[in-house]
Amino acid sequence: MSLGRLVARRLAVGALILFVVSLLVFGASLLLPGDAARAVLGRTASPDRLAAVRAQMHLDDPPLQRYLSWAGDLVTGDLGDSVVSQTPVVELIAQRSVNSLLLMVLAALIATPVALALGTWSALRRDRLPDHLTSLGTLVLASLPEFVVGIALLFVFSTGLLRVLPAVVDQTQGVLVQPEVLVLPVLTLALAVSPYITRMMRATMLEILDSDFVHQARLNGVPERKVLWRHAVPNAIGPVAQVVALQLAWLAGGIVLVEFLFDYPGIGEGVVDAVDARDIPTLQALVMLVAAFYVVVNLLADVVGVLTNPRLRTGGAS
Amino acid sequence: MSAAADTTASGGAQGLLRRSLAVGRTRAGLVITSLVVLVAVVGPFVAPQSETGFVGAPFSPDAPGTLFGTDTLGRDVWSRFLHGGGSVLGMSVLCTVAGVGAGLLVALVAGYSRTWVDELLMRTTDVLLAFPAIVLALLFLAVFEPQPWTVVATVAAGHAPRVARVMRAAVLDVAGRDYVRSAESMGLRRWSVRLGDLLPNVTGPLMVETGLRLTYSVALVAGLGFLGLSGLQADQADWGLMINENRLGFTVQPWAVLLPVIAIGLLTVGTNLIADGIARTSAGTDREVLG
Amino acid sequence: MHESERRAIAAALAGGGRRNLSRREVLRGFAIGTGALAAPSWLAACSAADPVGGSQSGEDGASGEPKRGGSLRMGAAGGGSGDTIDAHKPVDRPDINRVHQLYEPLLIRDAKFELTPVVAESVEPNKDLTVWTARLRDGITFHDGRPVRPEDVIASFLRITDPKDPKVGAQLLSFLDRKGMKKLDDRTVEFTLTRPSALFLDAISEYFQGIVPEDYDPKKPVGTGPFAFESFDPGQRSVFSRYADYWREGEPFLDELVIIDFTDDAARVNALISGQVEAIESLPFGQISVVENDSKLTVLESESGNWNPFTMRVDAKPFSDVRVRQAMRLIADRQELIDQVLVGHGKLANDLYSPGDPCFNDSLPQRERDVEQAKSLLKSAGQEGLQVELTTSPVSQGIVEAAQVLVEQARAADVDIRLNKVDTGTFYGDNYLSWPFAQDFWGTRSFLAQAAQGSLPSSPFNETHWSDEEFVSLVKSAEVEVDEEKRCELIQDAQAIEHESGGHIIWGFVNLVDAYSNKISGLEPNVAGHPLDRYGFRHAWFV
Repeated sequence: MSLGRLVARRLAVGALILFVVSLLVFGASLLLPGDAARAVLGRTASPDRLAAVRAQMHLDDPPLQRYLSWAGDLVTGDLGDSVVSQTPVVELIAQRSVNSLLLMVLAALIATPVALALGTWSALRRDRLPDHLTSLGTLVLASLPEFVVGIALLFVFSTGLLRVLPAVVDQTQGVLVQPEVLVLPVLTLALAVSPYITRMMRATMLEILDSDFVHQARLNGVPERKVLWRHAVPNAIGPVAQVVALQLAWLAGGIVLVEFLFDYPGIGEGVVDAVDARDIPTLQALVMLVAAFYVVVNLLADVVGVLTNPRLRTGGAS
Repeated sequence: MSAAADTTASGGAQGLLRRSLAVGRTRAGLVITSLVVLVAVVGPFVAPQSETGFVGAPFSPDAPGTLFGTDTLGRDVWSRFLHGGGSVLGMSVLCTVAGVGAGLLVALVAGYSRTWVDELLMRTTDVLLAFPAIVLALLFLAVFEPQPWTVVATVAAGHAPRVARVMRAAVLDVAGRDYVRSAESMGLRRWSVRLGDLLPNVTGPLMVETGLRLTYSVALVAGLGFLGLSGLQADQADWGLMINENRLGFTVQPWAVLLPVIAIGLLTVGTNLIADGIARTSAGTDREVLG
Repeated sequence: MHESERRAIAAALAGGGRRNLSRREVLRGFAIGTGALAAPSWLAACSAADPVGGSQSGEDGASGEPKRGGSLRMGAAGGGSGDTIDAHKPVDRPDINRVHQLYEPLLIRDAKFELTPVVAESVEPNKDLTVWTARLRDGITFHDGRPVRPEDVIASFLRITDPKDPKVGAQLLSFLDRKGMKKLDDRTVEFTLTRPSALFLDAISEYFQGIVPEDYDPKKPVGTGPFAFESFDPGQRSVFSRYADYWREGEPFLDELVIIDFTDDAARVNALISGQVEAIESLPFGQISVVENDSKLTVLESESGNWNPFTMRVDAKPFSDVRVRQAMRLIADRQELIDQVLVGHGKLANDLYSPGDPCFNDSLPQRERDVEQAKSLLKSAGQEGLQVELTTSPVSQGIVEAAQVLVEQARAADVDIRLNKVDTGTFYGDNYLSWPFAQDFWGTRSFLAQAAQGSLPSSPFNETHWSDEEFVSLVKSAEVEVDEEKRCELIQDAQAIEHESGGHIIWGFVNLVDAYSNKISGLEPNVAGHPLDRYGFRHAWFV
């Protein structure tokens, strides 16, 4: 099977998964307890107003019809109107997506190089104190839930020991004009993803440094620095790239608690808000968005894995 | 941290446990975990106050007669902390047992059938794996209302496909071995093979998975509590809920948040150290790290 | 002035001896019956004597003459993408705030909970309270400069009560004959009711009954309020500019008002402390000390008639037995509820609502916690060791907290209250109004208006399913009673029944605690139950 066909096949599988996910998401919204119209109106609900809102939300249409029209709109990029706001969901989500992407990209940009360097350094000092410390440190960090790390940072830098960074985002302005609010959430996420990358980099480097061709290069008198940069590092990129991509996918879930903690106006906080407000169209759209992102990034990780694994690239006719 | 090897060599699960105890990490993890478990189990009996009684004005850090001040309703933070571990711990263990159990079952069926059943089960896990665990949990909890059992079911449902993936790989690996072939040739039923030959030979990865899932369970259960979605009675002391309900007073009265945060952090680190120790032992790469 | 006014309000709300002095003054506020019929309408008198109407709470504050100019940024609590700027559909706090700036109803409750003329100059009933005549204020205009005409008033009420799209205020106006509204002359409108009711004044004096032009378009919102529309970004911010031709002389003093939404309490407080806003509503109780210790900020605390009751269904077991209801009321330690839930920022209640009503029955003994009495009541009802489920939900601040405190208090009486905490959607879902034991939150209303909302078989929100025949007939008689003293007697008798056997546990009235920067002045305590001097930015000014 050619590489193109392999990727096409994975894409098709991804699309199929998203279709089933859409059934699941839609089905979940059908089962939502309570009456969405009542939740929207709250105390201002009177029978006639309820009827009006129900009709507007198509709550009385048959499920299949609702699914088809919802899925059709979804495919064409029309995510419907938020029942809470009456404004297009796309508008609501656009800014949040940008904000969340900003967090994720910054976290990845900071975590990746640091983790790669740390992993390499640790591998080069195998079984010495720095290696043990790194290993233990990453293990501890990998264990800690992200909100625990976030609250600890909050206490140290914002509300307790040092009061140098803002605890919450000023919602009156965009996040870009107040870059200081990004520091703690980005740091929290970076600390959450870097241990895995560090450990993978270390393991991969150890394997490569132990491999025959590195030994051969050393025997041939190639300087250690050159061995590292010419031979070891390039070969580590493949497997590590896959882990980096998987960590990026993890971030799609990691932002939920972190955004909630820092009151950061992103997708994660949006999901929690939508659950609270029973805003079904928004919840559906957000969950589909997260799922799509997750599937695509996992697909990318797959492809990267295939591209960088010579065995799979050439031989794999499955 | 996916463990690959099995432990056919010597003594199965018990032997593995014993050997992993030789690793400093496992021991350290065990000590830390035991400490937190001790607080959770013994705490309610030694707490100076009831978990729901009022001892002062809300959010006073130095209310007379309290060690760590009062919480959002004027209850004793220290006493609520001592009362609040049981729920997180109990729910996490249940999530782990249910999630790993379900995942293992799927893996044993799928990894040893090579029919459409395998395909169906694996595609189902693909769908469930299309969400980050927390988003799946939020979607479930939006539908089924947070109750302790729905939270357990939700978190377990998040674990199951991931466990199934890892364990299926382990089962597939074992299923190709000679002794399984010979058992088949003796005409043993498939379930006898599964339980008699496959299961005992995947205990290594199974134990590692269990340890890992316990760590993630604690994080997720406490995280849902932090979002206010743990489904417990509102006045029950619970480490996750404590963080949620005392968040607003963090500046004035940090202890009400810090105590449960520290306990959750220690618990996850402890269980993960144990899991790591077992993984190293079962992978045969055990090395002393701590003293 | 500030202090004396506070005391007058406190006295009006408090029981006991101090109350009598101010009673007469407060009575004025509800004197629609006799006042309107016998002497010239108090409404007319009021507006003639005081051209700036109900603004006494504001600009004559302690800090000298108000100055013109400046842009005030206000931090609002809540807000979301679902927010509106429609005059008749406000839901959350920022919506209500905006409505107060843009629009005005015919009458409104002022800082002392007295009815004050706004768009109308007077509203008078006929002898049997079936026909009401409103005289419009001379020269009052909409933001686009057009005068307010009877046609606009009629169109506003037709819009509110539109059967195809009923607005928030439609239900209150259920007795309004939609086809019976008539223009008598260029400044006079006549309303006909389908049944006699003194509640007409309450019904039209709500903020969500604003008068808008006949061709009203919520996309280009126009009203008679002190501030005109500039921009609106749902869930984010809304901007208003001073309406130069506002009818109240000199007001508003500000050039611009910006309302900024904060869903997070901590963020709102931070914005005030760091100077990003000049005023915030709803200061979380845990943060009051932080603001008090800041010399640049002032805490604004107002008593109110807002109440967060526990609701027991009088037709469902075990509360169908009046002894169980009485026992539950005796179990509640009201002062402890106030201390733990409101951090002391509330006023003791006596299982009765509408403390600001001039007819309020303050002769009834204050109910105190009495565990022994509660136990013996439960025993005689055969309900020793009672187990009940209390449905609670974070529908408003302090609700779930109050539930937790009651659970703890009930333990002393061997009553086991199980908390069923549900989310807001479930709470207002199919079981809303049928939970046997739950909670709710209510604003500040006169007794009759409140009873119509929640204590009659015909009420839309009768959570307790209260339908005591004697009570109902007393309330019905009071609603059509023209003589004020007689009406008060009827109301007090009705309250005595609720106090004896009703289904509410009303433990306290919630103080509103807001805060503002010392850079501004003119905001005063206001008992009408809305934050920041009833969003009274029209009389706020920069020092």
